[in-house]
Amino acid sequence: MLQVRNIEKYYGSRNNVTKALDRVSFEVADGEFIAIMGASGSGKTTLLNCISTIDTVSAGDILLDGENIAELPAGELARFRRERLGFVFQDFNLLDTLTVEENIGLALVLNHADSREVKHRTEEVARRLGIEDILDKFPYQISGGQKQRAACARAMVAGQSLLLADEPTGALDSKASKNLLEIMVRMNRETKATILMVTHDAYSAGYAGRVLFLKDGRLFNELLRGERDRQVFYHEILDVLALLGGDISDVL
Amino acid sequence: MYFKLSLRNGKRQARDYLVYFVTVVMVAALIYACNGLVFSEEIKTLSQMMKMLPVMIVLASIVVIGIVGWLVSFMNNFMLVRRSREFGIYILSGLENRQVARLFFLENMAVGGCALALGLVLGNFLFQALRAVILALFGVGYSFSFAFSLRALGLTFLYFMLVYLFAQWRSRRRLRTMKIYDLVYYERLNEGMVIRTSRKRRWVFAGSLVLGTVGTLLLLGGGMLFGVLGAGCVILFLFGFFLSFASGVPAFYDRYPARKYHGSALMVFRTLTAKLATMGVSMATIALLFTATLISEGAGIVIRAIFVGRAADTSCFDLFLGFDAERAGEEGTRINRILEYAEDNIPVESSVKYPVYQGETAEFTEYIESEAEYFRYYDYDALMRRSDYDALREMLGYPAVTSGKGEYLIHCQAYVAGAAQKWDCPIVVGGRELLPGGVYTEPFLQSDWKSNGHGFVLVVPDGAAQDCPVSHIIYAAVTEEPVSEAQYRAVEKTAYDSGVSVLLYAGAQVENEVASSTALMVVPLYYLSLVLTMAAATILTVWQLSETDRYRHQFVLLRKLGMDRRKMESVLRRQFSVYYAMPAVPPMLIGLPCIVSMARATEPGVMVGLRHPFAIAGAALAVFLLIYAVYILLAYFGLRRNVLPD
Repeated sequence: MLQVRNIEKYYGSRNNVTKALDRVSFEVADGEFIAIMGASGSGKTTLLNCISTIDTVSAGDILLDGENIAELPAGELARFRRERLGFVFQDFNLLDTLTVEENIGLALVLNHADSREVKHRTEEVARRLGIEDILDKFPYQISGGQKQRAACARAMVAGQSLLLADEPTGALDSKASKNLLEIMVRMNRETKATILMVTHDAYSAGYAGRVLFLKDGRLFNELLRGERDRQVFYHEILDVLALLGGDISDVL
Repeated sequence: MYFKLSLRNGKRQARDYLVYFVTVVMVAALIYACNGLVFSEEIKTLSQMMKMLPVMIVLASIVVIGIVGWLVSFMNNFMLVRRSREFGIYILSGLENRQVARLFFLENMAVGGCALALGLVLGNFLFQALRAVILALFGVGYSFSFAFSLRALGLTFLYFMLVYLFAQWRSRRRLRTMKIYDLVYYERLNEGMVIRTSRKRRWVFAGSLVLGTVGTLLLLGGGMLFGVLGAGCVILFLFGFFLSFASGVPAFYDRYPARKYHGSALMVFRTLTAKLATMGVSMATIALLFTATLISEGAGIVIRAIFVGRAADTSCFDLFLGFDAERAGEEGTRINRILEYAEDNIPVESSVKYPVYQGETAEFTEYIESEAEYFRYYDYDALMRRSDYDALREMLGYPAVTSGKGEYLIHCQAYVAGAAQKWDCPIVVGGRELLPGGVYTEPFLQSDWKSNGHGFVLVVPDGAAQDCPVSHIIYAAVTEEPVSEAQYRAVEKTAYDSGVSVLLYAGAQVENEVASSTALMVVPLYYLSLVLTMAAATILTVWQLSETDRYRHQFVLLRKLGMDRRKMESVLRRQFSVYYAMPAVPPMLIGLPCIVSMARATEPGVMVGLRHPFAIAGAALAVFLLIYAVYILLAYFGLRRNVLPD
């Protein structure tokens, strides 16, 4: 589904260049749940931003179903974002002017869906995420966990096949985090949505099927869960992080 | 959904930026009211000069459109920055940049449309107020008559379209080229200092102060060239000052770290420098607008004072004609023809035709010249026969005066009265020595060349003046009805056709000209200055109110650190005072001397009493501060309520 080929990303001016990504390559198959881990400044968010078209790469290609997203014309790019891409931010990014229901329905409205269908699908996804009781509330009236579930619902409601999540549990307590991660796993199984999740947290990464480790902008290691138990996988992740060195306090 | 989103965002915009919304409503009302004057037939027919009013208002409107365009554009940009993350989400959710730009456009048009609609309603009342003021200037009775001018509405709509389309064009261009990353992470960007190195900063700061002083001096010097150069220097000063000051305050505290812990300097000045670092250019623009406001308001009062001051003297006779003496003999017939024409066409109640004589010396003139601010017109003291003087006093309804046989009287304008009263020397006229017998200062038409002396006239016994050479001839009359504009123009035309040089005044026409000139100059100037003040104060206030969350966090933290409420209020007040004083003080230092200088540049005798230059500067400052204070109080109470913990 997704091919990342030798991508590089530089920031800054001529005299002060920071290399955020350095020849990163990997492939993602349909329906995979991948976690991307690394210390602060390792390039995790930059990588996710490049895949989500929030940012552009300095070199290399990102292919989606064989098509280079950098070469998509504006209209096609907008359609890709509307129909296939869902994005979950660490700080939710819900629109304060809209209710939870309207926030979730936004992507459908932009897809020109029928208004009855918008209502129906919004309620359905809200039910699956356990937020059907707060649909008429505004973002400032609900908790962080509820906000993140609403953001998740917005990212999935249009049947998006690629869900990108940037530290989705970063602003949540442990209970809300666990709840959200279980929902993501369920969505991944039920809808076959491909999920790429950036996280600092080894516990969260343990829910994924594969973990990519970044260090100083380069792909450092890769860990597959296979048939292993989540607890075992969690400990393996910790071992790799110990190898990464120096940032264990960030990890835990 | 677009429409619903736009409408909802528009509603939120109007609520969050209420001060801005109210300002746009007020501006719309002002523009509509002034456009009402442009198309009002009633106003145009008040006098010949008033036909120029539409031109003056349209000229002022062009500047107003520029200022309002800047305000709306600034606010659009401000909102765009504040809501960049929201727009980023729209794009990430699948909207194209141009669609987001359209959404923002619709939202702004909805807000602008509402402001315009409300402004039109308010503008109708404002038009009535302006109409009442102008009619009162002309002494015409006012009666309320609701008149909705479709043409005024059309012109106001056109101006608003220009303003909004310009602002939208700018934000649309920006939105269409912005990347999602820039939008989503815009708030994380720090605005860098414009001037980074301390050496450069010091140079710019010192240079700007020099330019400010030079600019103000050039403006005080007057004249077109000096004015343009002075304005240029003042603009450079303001930008240089605010940019270098913004970067200079943190540098100052870096150098003298102990100073920032003195009193509440840390809370007050750190907040200010944080703001100034990001708004140096805008602060300079605001200061520039304030300077223009003060000078416009001052100019308005000066102009009005000049006309009123001149009219106090020149409107005392209903009809007044002055002729050169040397032509009186040669062209007596032609002069008589003019007077006959005037008397045939204007019903005269009483009139006096008399000569003004040349005194044998200029002692009194020289004395006045040395004692008062006086411009000399004649090389001799102007004299008037006592019988003519008594007749003129009687005609004007002034009380009769008495004096001894060998005495002379001084009739003068108020500005030389002080010096005249100290004069105690005798004068010699026609071989007789005369002693001073009293000073009178009633309006007597003494400010022109062929008037009753220039600034003063010495009234001597008839016999003494008899053999003196004639300076000029005057015909003064009181008419049964005020002289109309048509009658005045007809006499003027007759004099012009006869080829005789005549000084012509008609009291009613002088007052009419005062009213016309006031309306022509003062209305556009105040229209302009009101918009300038409101636009600049709005930006300051919106900026301040948008900091509400930051302030709230600051005071919650200060309370946790043990600061009591009274101290917090004091800190807030000081932050406020410094913030609002910053862009207002430089304009006062530049504008007020300019107003005083403008008022002093007129001929002596015009600016006395309440029309004194310092009184005018004070009045201009008061008008400016009054409007400014409304915005300051709005922001202060809004912020105090929301940021100080209970």
